[in-house]
Amino acid sequence: MILDTLGVGLLGTSTEVCQKVKQYSKIYSSDVSSTIWGHLDFRLPPLYAAFVNGVAVHSMDFDDTWHPATHPSGAVLPAVIALSEAFPQKKKISGLDLLLAFSVGIEVQGRLLHFSSEARNIPKRFHPPTVVGTMGSAAACAKLLALNQMECKNTLAIAASYAGAPLANAATQTKPLHIGNAAKHGLEAACLASQGLQGNNQILDMESGIGAFYTDYNPQTLPTLQSYPWLLDQQDVAIKRFPAHLGTHWVADAASSVRRKLVENSDNLLLLDKIEKVIVKVPEVKYVNRPSPNSEHEARHSFQFVACSALLDGSMSVQSFASDSIQRPALQELLCKTQLQHPSDNKPSFESLYCEVTVVLRDGGTISDRCDTFYGHWRKPLTNEDLEKKFQSNASEVLPAEAIEGIIETVYNLEKVEDCSVLNMFLSGQSARARPEKLHLL
Amino acid sequence: VARSAPEETVTSSFASFIYAVRPEHLSEIVCHRSKRMILDSIGVGLVGSTTHVFDIALKYCLELYSSVAVSNVYGKPGVKLSPTLAAFTNGVATHSMDFDDTWHPATHPSGAVLPALLAASQMLPPNSKPNGLDFLLAFNVGLEVQGRLMHFSTEAHNIPKRFHPPSVVGTMGSAAATAKLLSLSMAQCTHALGIAASLAGAPMANAATQAKPLHIGNATRLGLEAALLAARGMEANPFILDDISGCSGFSAFYSIYQPKPLSTPNERHEFLLEKQDIAFKRFPAHLGMHWVVDAALSVRNLFINYAGSFSPSLIRTIVLKIPVSKYINRPFPNSEHQARHSFQFNACTALLDGEVGLSSFTESSIHRQELRELLHKVVVEHPEDNVANFDKMYGEVALLLKSGDVLTGKCDTFYGHWRKPLSRESLLKKFRSNASHVLPEEKVETIITMVDNLENLSDSSQLACSL
Repeated sequence: MILDTLGVGLLGTSTEVCQKVKQYSKIYSSDVSSTIWGHLDFRLPPLYAAFVNGVAVHSMDFDDTWHPATHPSGAVLPAVIALSEAFPQKKKISGLDLLLAFSVGIEVQGRLLHFSSEARNIPKRFHPPTVVGTMGSAAACAKLLALNQMECKNTLAIAASYAGAPLANAATQTKPLHIGNAAKHGLEAACLASQGLQGNNQILDMESGIGAFYTDYNPQTLPTLQSYPWLLDQQDVAIKRFPAHLGTHWVADAASSVRRKLVENSDNLLLLDKIEKVIVKVPEVKYVNRPSPNSEHEARHSFQFVACSALLDGSMSVQSFASDSIQRPALQELLCKTQLQHPSDNKPSFESLYCEVTVVLRDGGTISDRCDTFYGHWRKPLTNEDLEKKFQSNASEVLPAEAIEGIIETVYNLEKVEDCSVLNMFLSGQSARARPEKLHLL
Repeated sequence: VARSAPEETVTSSFASFIYAVRPEHLSEIVCHRSKRMILDSIGVGLVGSTTHVFDIALKYCLELYSSVAVSNVYGKPGVKLSPTLAAFTNGVATHSMDFDDTWHPATHPSGAVLPALLAASQMLPPNSKPNGLDFLLAFNVGLEVQGRLMHFSTEAHNIPKRFHPPSVVGTMGSAAATAKLLSLSMAQCTHALGIAASLAGAPMANAATQAKPLHIGNATRLGLEAALLAARGMEANPFILDDISGCSGFSAFYSIYQPKPLSTPNERHEFLLEKQDIAFKRFPAHLGMHWVVDAALSVRNLFINYAGSFSPSLIRTIVLKIPVSKYINRPFPNSEHQARHSFQFNACTALLDGEVGLSSFTESSIHRQELRELLHKVVVEHPEDNVANFDKMYGEVALLLKSGDVLTGKCDTFYGHWRKPLSRESLLKKFRSNASHVLPEEKVETIITMVDNLENLSDSSQLACSL
């Protein structure tokens, strides 16, 4: 998750939304500063580094997704990494410290999501990363800061007052800020708590606490630490293969497979004129139902767009969402022939949804395929090789090869890394060769 | 979600209002009332700069950031912070003691807007400073947007239970006000609102804790941030205020949500502030406390006439008749924050001391023996006709004496409520008392004069500089 998130974030630094937040955040600078992934030329105070890097991670909707639904890593990793650089020089943060804090941040999110049955379905009201992600970031930062129990409680209480953004900004340029803000505000909550600020110490118990974000809310205490059952042990994340809403990954696999069948008998040429209709069976998810998206953000949240794109190209990639890809006439034409159907057995849950794509030909023939589990889903996880390939492809947009290798090696050996500032060094684009003494494993 | 072109959306009507409204649209009443609010808000912020929660917020901001420090901090003449952090800190100061204004439907409107405007006014370059009238207009845009949004839900009419209103509408108001002050285009105004919505919303549970002041601090700061981001071209959902089925926008914060477009200020636009004034607090506690305190003071007088002096030993039971509202029903508060949110505490303090003021909420006052003893005698009743609504509620305090006699005091409208507004003298007295905690007399008088003549101020950043 850490590796994937770093890659996705590095790639994301080149997006327009990220340019804007970088510009904005430059109005703040100070002596204490943290790395902006992909940049050697400037640094920012930890809070804004967390914000900017968080925005980068979610800028293309390329980051991981969990069940119950949220984007867990993007809310936590930028915050803990930025924070790790904010300690005074003598204090070293080890890779193990970082890994533990990260895991705490993930676990807290998962536990909170289990407090409401609403959370099991694709959201409608509040965007989950803004609710549980803020809390996860807060918990992770409190852990890294080694706050005492009372301070940890207050961290959570303060963070709750920053949580919660409505879903309507999904599919717009503002959505990436949801993750950026979750990371930043969680960090801020931990910092305020460490300065002694207090909140409601029953924030997770009360309906008017975190419960405010749900219509049914049933909190439970956590199990004891004795052989602690981490949620991540029982439930893996899904890693995306292309930058779009998770629901579209089923569509892409089904559509690619239909395309293969279609071109089998015609020399690998997709004969568009022969297509009468494209029917895409998906669950009902209004914010991903967009018959003719206009921007990259809308395209990433469109079942129809991904179906047509995968039919045309055979697979999806980062390039599929470039402006000229979106606007091409063949795609627009195919979109006009596309409709969605919502079978009643197709539930809006990342655990159980499926997609069926049917192409109806003018001569009456139909070609269909169905995807129950796309490659990258937790039931069919990416191989290590493919995960690394995704990382390399992403990171190479902004980092030199040595830094890329440095990150992979550091992350894979994270428990043994004595001083995780080496990670930040690579993230800013420096290589190990420049500073050999930095890459020191225990 | 496609929309046919000519249909006006709620969101676009708001953006259009923010963009198109001009000083000429302000009425005299609105100018008058809003200046009172500005003065009170500054005073409350100044005294708030002496609180512990303010110390924490300031220290936090100073440690993390140093440059582009152009904006003043209440009560700290040598200190400057970056604009959003100054707004944050001053917002925290304003709400630190729950001493700031309250409106109907319920929210604390000024604290969410004023700090952002003060900070923003100092951000702009010297040759494009907004004048006092621009400032006053932007302030009113911030209030108007808050008021209009609250009218979209019947839930908003009652004392809140789920989300703390300043964190919901306050953030939006701050974004709108800042957008106006910075003269953003209509499209940018739309996006400022959209971005702000993703920064809105804090749960009620932190009320009565030290974290509550952050709600106003963040509302004003994040609204400012939203406008700044919109100014740099950030885009959000242009239908954020509209009812979008299956995918919540601003409606996420309410269970019932019925938005309506705002009319463009062509003819004489009627600002909500014209029809519905604000309540100013006389002492630093939740608005609900003000009814029981006035009722307690009235029955205290009766008691003194009856017994010659206030003698608690003659009292068997104290019955408080109050509306149902969990977060302000606290029989034995332990902290200043809890005490400010306790019907019981405020009633007993008023009975014991004959007044409630700043010093009523110190540690020693909260824990004194006589008060604790009195608190033990309190029972609470919730008459059905006492609705949890700042326009309709009442407070009744009955002393059941050991002799069998019963003395009662009732308050329908406390002094400071919009139905019985503070006189100019009372408002100034409150301001002077607050401001003099941290500023010398001349500065205090300068601020009063500046706010009084706000429309004639050529450079409104002078107001921020004088803090």
